[in-house]
Amino acid sequence: MSTSKLLAAALPAILFSTAALAAGETIAVFTKNQTNPYFQTVRVGAEVAAKSLGAKAVHYIPTKPDSIPEQLSQVEDVIVKKPSAIVFVPVDYKAMVPGVEQINDAKIPIVNVTDRSAGGKFLAFVGADDYSLGLETARFLLKEIGGKGNVVILEGVKGSLTNIDRVRGFNDAIKEFKDVKLLASQPANYQRLQGLQVMENLMQSHPQIDGVLAANDAMAIGVIEALDGANRKAKVVGINGTKEAVDAIKTGKLLASGDYNGFLQGCIGTLVAIRALRKEPIVTEVVLKPTVVNASNFQPYDTPLESRSCPSWNEAAALASKPN
Amino acid sequence: MSIASDAATRPIGLHLSRETQQLAYRLLAVALLCLALSIATEAFFTANNILNVLRQASLLFFLASGLTLVILTGGLDLSVGANIGLSACFAATVIKATGSPALGTLTGLATGLAIGICNGLMVAKLRIPSFIATYGMLWVLHGITYYYMAGETIHGFPPGFRQIGSGYFLGVPIPVYLMLAFLLAGTIFAQRTIWGQQIYAIGANPVAARLTGIPVDRRLILVYAFSGAMAGVASIVFLARLNSAEGDIGEAMTLPAIAAALIGGASLFGGVGSVFGTFIGALILTLVLNGMNLLAVNANWQPLVTGLIVILAVWFDMVGRRRT
Repeated sequence: MSTSKLLAAALPAILFSTAALAAGETIAVFTKNQTNPYFQTVRVGAEVAAKSLGAKAVHYIPTKPDSIPEQLSQVEDVIVKKPSAIVFVPVDYKAMVPGVEQINDAKIPIVNVTDRSAGGKFLAFVGADDYSLGLETARFLLKEIGGKGNVVILEGVKGSLTNIDRVRGFNDAIKEFKDVKLLASQPANYQRLQGLQVMENLMQSHPQIDGVLAANDAMAIGVIEALDGANRKAKVVGINGTKEAVDAIKTGKLLASGDYNGFLQGCIGTLVAIRALRKEPIVTEVVLKPTVVNASNFQPYDTPLESRSCPSWNEAAALASKPN
Repeated sequence: MSIASDAATRPIGLHLSRETQQLAYRLLAVALLCLALSIATEAFFTANNILNVLRQASLLFFLASGLTLVILTGGLDLSVGANIGLSACFAATVIKATGSPALGTLTGLATGLAIGICNGLMVAKLRIPSFIATYGMLWVLHGITYYYMAGETIHGFPPGFRQIGSGYFLGVPIPVYLMLAFLLAGTIFAQRTIWGQQIYAIGANPVAARLTGIPVDRRLILVYAFSGAMAGVASIVFLARLNSAEGDIGEAMTLPAIAAALIGGASLFGGVGSVFGTFIGALILTLVLNGMNLLAVNANWQPLVTGLIVILAVWFDMVGRRRT
């Protein structure tokens, strides 16, 4: 997007924001943890969107990462404080349903972001499709290694929704290439150190590995360190499009990272919430198309989160799979 | 109080030989595990893989060896994992800001040590049970780290510094030398110095230890300080190996570190255990992961296999102990 176009998109928002300052809605933003950079992108997206419309984002993050009881008690707190609306990433898509129902009973409008809740009533769902993210990222790597060779998969936390879908996407992509052999699919629990160690171990039993599909960026970076340490070369992809991954793409160490686009999810989720409060038309479902960040398209991802801007409502609405 | 009276009446000569026999059984357990893996896959028993396993075990050993001294006094240090996180992040910041790996290393070690001294003061002077004191410390450290890092990672360190984690000397990885040095120093300290013997005595019977004039408070502060400093060492090796720092790097290591000490024969009641035993414990845990990766055990079964092997290893050890 050109600068002038960006400005044109931002200008009405700026004008509008001064007019709407009086409204000053408070949006409670629930995310899973403070440790995964992905949720930081969601939070910043929400803040940028809220600011652009003259509202305020307040964050609720469990101190123990992904803690179900903690998020439940935060839900209870928030019902007492009564924010204007809630943007909600459930720490667990099933276990948090009672919490969502409590919010519904309290008649606080709520938008579901990232992980689709198994129940409860939401204004809208904004998320990405982990399966197609895994599929597209894997396809990119498999084409890059010439559609043939040996690959390994590094899985995330067993049983987590993101991991199940991403790994399924990886496997389906591998099936499309007859000359690609899957040597092993091993868990490294989304952890950097485990990514490194599992890769070191796999290199012991497999003298030739051409490609590595890691279910997140932290493991992918661990894999790169393992390869460097053993003086071996392989193409590596990760998922999440983190800052670190973009840096590794720039230096040519990482081939690509499937972008889960947390910033955009935070943006659109918050835009929907505020627009609903202002009785403006909204969309009820946005499932973002996967973007595979690589050496040819990393530039927009190379800017600090805070200085990125949210799309205009028309652009955001165009991404919707289900308009209102 | 049977453990205590047992320790008090047991002649020194017999005490040592029994310890030695127990160690022999633990080594036998490792040997059996290695034998089984050698038969199962030819990738296991190679110089390369043995060095690989030793290097992987080193991080866990650094963490668990300091912890072992705490466990010997009948205490527990739950803050070691969180300690690694904060120490690594501070060290990384200093390296980035000053460009000096030496200053960064010093910062990491000092942070770890300071946290350990705080733990020691809480346990020895305020008489807070160690489980609670260090559990509280864990949350304090997480709080500081998560706030400080805000979901970001710090990455990219000078090649000279990286040598600590990924370098080689005469074909052997540097962390392996560090591990052997700490193993030797720790063993001599615990088994051959008066301070070491006093630590065993405190764990066996704290009241008796106090009455015999052992400066219990100072020794307690010493062991927690040691445990904290070793977490500092682990954080530096971690940084040098992984080339990046993030808030939650140590979180997944606390329980394995405690397990390594206990698998190595330490007792949570205090007075029993050794640094060498902990080395064996760390080795067993690392071998299990290595073996599963080499054999490409299905990801679904890996937690189960890990659990079974840990239980088997300790059971084997218990049988050996009853015999002696």
